[in-house]
Amino acid sequence: MVITGKHLPRRTFLQNMGALIALPYLEAMIPARSVWRRAPKDPTRLICIEMVHGAAGCSPFGATQNFWSPATTGAAFDLSPTALAPLESWRKHLTIISNTDVRMAEAYKPEEIGGDHFRSSAVFLTQSHPMQTESSDIYVGRSLDQMYAQRYGQNTPIPSMQLCIEPVDRAGGCAYGYSCAYTDTISWSSPTEPLPMIRDPRVAFDQLFGAGGTPEERASRTKTTGSILDYITGRVADLKRELSAADRRRMDQYLDNIREIERRIQQVEARNTSGEERELPNAPAGVPDSFEDHMKLMFDLQVLAFESDMTRVFSLKCGRDASARVYPESGVTTGFHPASHHGNNPKRVTEFYQINKYHISLLPYLMNRLQQAKEGDSNLLEKTMVIYGSPMADGNVHNHRRCPLIVLGGANGKMAGNVHLKAPEGTPMANAMLGLMHRLGLEDLENFGDSTGEFLF
Amino acid sequence: MKVFAGAALTLLLPLILQGQRPEARAQSHYSYAVASSRAPHAPAARSGLPAAALNEVVKTYCTRCHNSEQKRGNLSLEGFDAAAAPRMADVAEKMVAKLRSGMMPPPGQRRPKGDTLSTLTIALESQLDSAAAAHPNPGGRTFQRLNRAEYKRAVRELFGLEIDVDAYLPQDTQSENFDNIADVQALSPTLLDAYLRAASDVVWLAIGNPKATASSATYSIPRTASQMETVEGAPFGTRGGLSVVHTFPADGAYVFRVVFFHETTGAFAGTNARGEQMEISIDGERVALLGVDRFMHAGDPNGASMLTDPIRITAGPHRVSAVFVPPALQAVAQDLIAPLKWSLNSTSTAAAYGFSLLPHLRDLVITGPDNPTGVSDTPIRRRVFTCQPKAASEARPCAEKILTRFGSAAFRRPLTASDVQGLMSLYDGAAKGDMPNAFEAGVRTSLQAILASPDFVFRFEPSPASVKAGESYRLSDIAMASRLSFFLWSAPPDHELMSLASAGKLSDPAVLQRQVRRMMEDPRAEALATRFAAQWLRLQDLDKVQPDVRQYPDFDEQLRVAMRKETEFFFQNLVRENRSVMELWSADYTFINERLATHYGIPNVSGTGFRRYAYTDPQRRGLLAHASILTLTSHAMRTSAVERGKWVMEVFLHSPPPPPPPGVPDLEATPAANEGKLLTVRERMEQHRKNPTCNSCHRMMDPIGLALENYDVTGRWRVRDNGRPVDARSELWDGTPVASPADLREALLKRRESLLRTFTRNLMAYALGRRVEYFDMPTVRAIVRNAATDNDRFGAYIMGVVNSPAFRMQRQEVADGDK
Repeated sequence: MVITGKHLPRRTFLQNMGALIALPYLEAMIPARSVWRRAPKDPTRLICIEMVHGAAGCSPFGATQNFWSPATTGAAFDLSPTALAPLESWRKHLTIISNTDVRMAEAYKPEEIGGDHFRSSAVFLTQSHPMQTESSDIYVGRSLDQMYAQRYGQNTPIPSMQLCIEPVDRAGGCAYGYSCAYTDTISWSSPTEPLPMIRDPRVAFDQLFGAGGTPEERASRTKTTGSILDYITGRVADLKRELSAADRRRMDQYLDNIREIERRIQQVEARNTSGEERELPNAPAGVPDSFEDHMKLMFDLQVLAFESDMTRVFSLKCGRDASARVYPESGVTTGFHPASHHGNNPKRVTEFYQINKYHISLLPYLMNRLQQAKEGDSNLLEKTMVIYGSPMADGNVHNHRRCPLIVLGGANGKMAGNVHLKAPEGTPMANAMLGLMHRLGLEDLENFGDSTGEFLF
Repeated sequence: MKVFAGAALTLLLPLILQGQRPEARAQSHYSYAVASSRAPHAPAARSGLPAAALNEVVKTYCTRCHNSEQKRGNLSLEGFDAAAAPRMADVAEKMVAKLRSGMMPPPGQRRPKGDTLSTLTIALESQLDSAAAAHPNPGGRTFQRLNRAEYKRAVRELFGLEIDVDAYLPQDTQSENFDNIADVQALSPTLLDAYLRAASDVVWLAIGNPKATASSATYSIPRTASQMETVEGAPFGTRGGLSVVHTFPADGAYVFRVVFFHETTGAFAGTNARGEQMEISIDGERVALLGVDRFMHAGDPNGASMLTDPIRITAGPHRVSAVFVPPALQAVAQDLIAPLKWSLNSTSTAAAYGFSLLPHLRDLVITGPDNPTGVSDTPIRRRVFTCQPKAASEARPCAEKILTRFGSAAFRRPLTASDVQGLMSLYDGAAKGDMPNAFEAGVRTSLQAILASPDFVFRFEPSPASVKAGESYRLSDIAMASRLSFFLWSAPPDHELMSLASAGKLSDPAVLQRQVRRMMEDPRAEALATRFAAQWLRLQDLDKVQPDVRQYPDFDEQLRVAMRKETEFFFQNLVRENRSVMELWSADYTFINERLATHYGIPNVSGTGFRRYAYTDPQRRGLLAHASILTLTSHAMRTSAVERGKWVMEVFLHSPPPPPPPGVPDLEATPAANEGKLLTVRERMEQHRKNPTCNSCHRMMDPIGLALENYDVTGRWRVRDNGRPVDARSELWDGTPVASPADLREALLKRRESLLRTFTRNLMAYALGRRVEYFDMPTVRAIVRNAATDNDRFGAYIMGVVNSPAFRMQRQEVADGDK
């Protein structure tokens, strides 16, 4: 237990960020050079957060108590009985979209019945129905975050990043004939390509800001990289004399790559020297034991990455389906999954509601961090869209009707906030997501998942 | 009429190629007849057809489909002149390939009588071969870069350090089966970045970092792995877990967290097992013993995991084992289900009553160092720092000595004065401050530059300044040394090879031959099996198949690994013992361990070690009996005659069938039962094949696969499929009736030329780092022919490739600007 204390330099880790970022590396990213130059001006940052198991307010008893969505729609909604109560002081940045369905997570065939936990996560951001298989022929759909990243994420060093809190399972079957890929990630770059999610904040940190545990070490590594690039440039000049014409052309391309890397370093250094003195903190040692510390560390990373413009798109999976994790800070000692099977017993539904409320209570930390990150006259909260929801509704009966969905942040003026919108009965969540994607700048998108049109608001 | 004997052919054609009768080349269509009269074993009366007759054959039997209107297979043979084949060499080579494998004209179409087709084939080949002999084209390519496998091996050779290269370099692009084809090795900022990052991390890891901050490394065990036996490297008497060599960055305190598998709903999997302990050992010495808590739960704050106290460990590589120590009495008395080989086949029922599942380790997480105190002497540091300055004045000369030696090994050539100067100026820039630290910082920076340098990551082959575009030139001995070692070892040349090359002795044919023999016998030649053969045979696909757990509950990770190893050992043995390549199809032996022997139903084989096993029954021979290949060509729930047939056509015969036309329902869409009776795979396939569009290709592929129906999804012998007797009867594309794997083998062995040429073209592509083109085919044929005079020995093929102009020469490309 001695070393785990080392995780907690989070306090130093989260202070004002930005500086001394070394070279990021991400396998998926091989941008053509020209793409880098075509930077759309200040596109909206996107964070998609999934919570599993639905919410207490989606059960018959919970609905009567307004455990998830408020009783009234419009601006004058009362958050106090709901699990969203911790967001009261952020209501100007809150849009509640209630009453939408995630029917693509329902069973289509007899053998799919009961497999909701092993299918839902794959549906959340794709709103498509996963093919039941334990082999390699997985198929679902392209996810919202990836559609956005493929359009607007290409001009940052890392187009998008995927994070998770709980350990994911291994390849092969998970249960009910579903591949673990469906349970383990919410991001799909294509219907057949699940993107792995990073659980260890250190791994994410290194990918974003380069290796090196302390600011001094990273600074020294960046300096070394600079002199090595000079050395390589010199070598290229010598080598070109010995090479054939075709090989020389390839070396010219290599030289362009060197310039590009140098440009990135300069960009980061220019950022550092402008404005106040900012330094990246110590890198975290590994996965923290506490859920709360882990969540906050992941939020820190996201804000940090937005500030330094390393990436503009995140997805975050907060739980694993059927996980029985206990959240002691919620005041409930029942595990998450057992608590969701409350049998509509008022006492147990209330217990589950407390867990939901605890999860929501972590969001103000993110809101606050985003708001404190000033950019010109504005701040990152105004420039970010945070989508938070669950592909399940009443976890007790595994249904997917009237699922939880909220949106936070100003999204560059596209989200007015302070509103509760109740969709007509039977509206697919895909309709609401289509509306959000239009606001994100994917105006030409005509449909998404099982959408039947845009949910206008 | 009997098929023309391949052996005789190989004897008569060299005479043409060697140009003993130059006048024969002019009268191309007679040349083979002239030559055949000189060859002792050639059939006596092989009548040569005049050009007009050959063209008539093409017109009658080929252009009905291959005309400019239909263009079947995207090929028109209208206007093809069989007497002037070299003028359309690309088309002629396509014809040769199809004719040799007997795939054209296709089954069901009219074929000429007698040996007309082989006469046409030989006429085409002999023309192409003589034209190539008169105007050899060695081909050319751009420089290669180190791919993942080569980078990993290069770091191992330079430092003695094992790295997880997948964490650094992006996945390699494959082209024509292989991951080392130069022209698809695209450069990008991301790639450059990856090499820079790898250089930095590798050097820090190799020489240690006294100021390292804590970070964690996670080693995971796949869920498909059995954890019932002792794992390799772990102390005897232990069970499951894992054993790895981990490189610690500094002397300091490290903690080890062991994470266990749990039920889907969170309960620790293994609740019913009492008294289990987990032992952590470093280099075989126990450093922690944890009593496994049976009541752990994934819902606990730390999940189903346990943590050791901080343990002081010195820097450098150490073997870390985290394994279970079973209690004296851990009896599985009476279970509700029989224990299966795949011990963790379900996590849904792991803690249920009646299942005595034992605990399974899932991850080992090593976190540290805390309070690093420095970096102890390690084997890797001793290897790098061949001298240590005792005074400030000694530092620079010592650094120069280290960097010159290391740089030369990394750049695979002697260093020039300007190379040394460049590295030393980097040293001077970084060697600032107090003495021992300054020296180390300087050396570290230069080492990092060496690993990031284009001289290391690219394999340049300088071209003489005098060579003009379109001209060919001979590669230098230095370049040859690298070509040789990356071909045979996927690694840089060793000291012996480099010294011979530097002394200009590698051009001596006798020296070269001795070196090739030496390299084939060197352990590093494992790369030919684990890289060349594995990619040619597509063994990587084995990882993509997960046979259905309900039908094949014994299929676990150990079996998968053993399957792959069987094929690799078999191939490695072929190389080391310089055996006949024909054994790939005919060998009456293989390599197995206990796990695999149980799988095959072979008694009296015990232990995890592999040994040679001679088959006692005729069911299995050669590669087509290997469980690896039979499994990777199957689906999870059933065998696939189509996949197996397609695999044989592509991998062994280089005749890929075209992709299925769009909108065709696949086999899964045909009903699996008829009037309540389950259908066999064969019956379902016959229904599927009733569609005529499908049938034109499937009648080629399916019969091959059907002959292998006696092997189930995992390559085990079976006599029943879905409860009904297996029917392996079918008729191959050339009309040969087959009813068993043995029949298929016999039929394939009659296509000796096609098999050996396909093998050779793959070997060549891998050796050259470029795709094999039509103009390479005369070389391929010559290699096969010459190897036949040496009993088809593996070494003869290697030497054939190494001695070919394609390997030793390079054609200067015509640059865009020069056109």
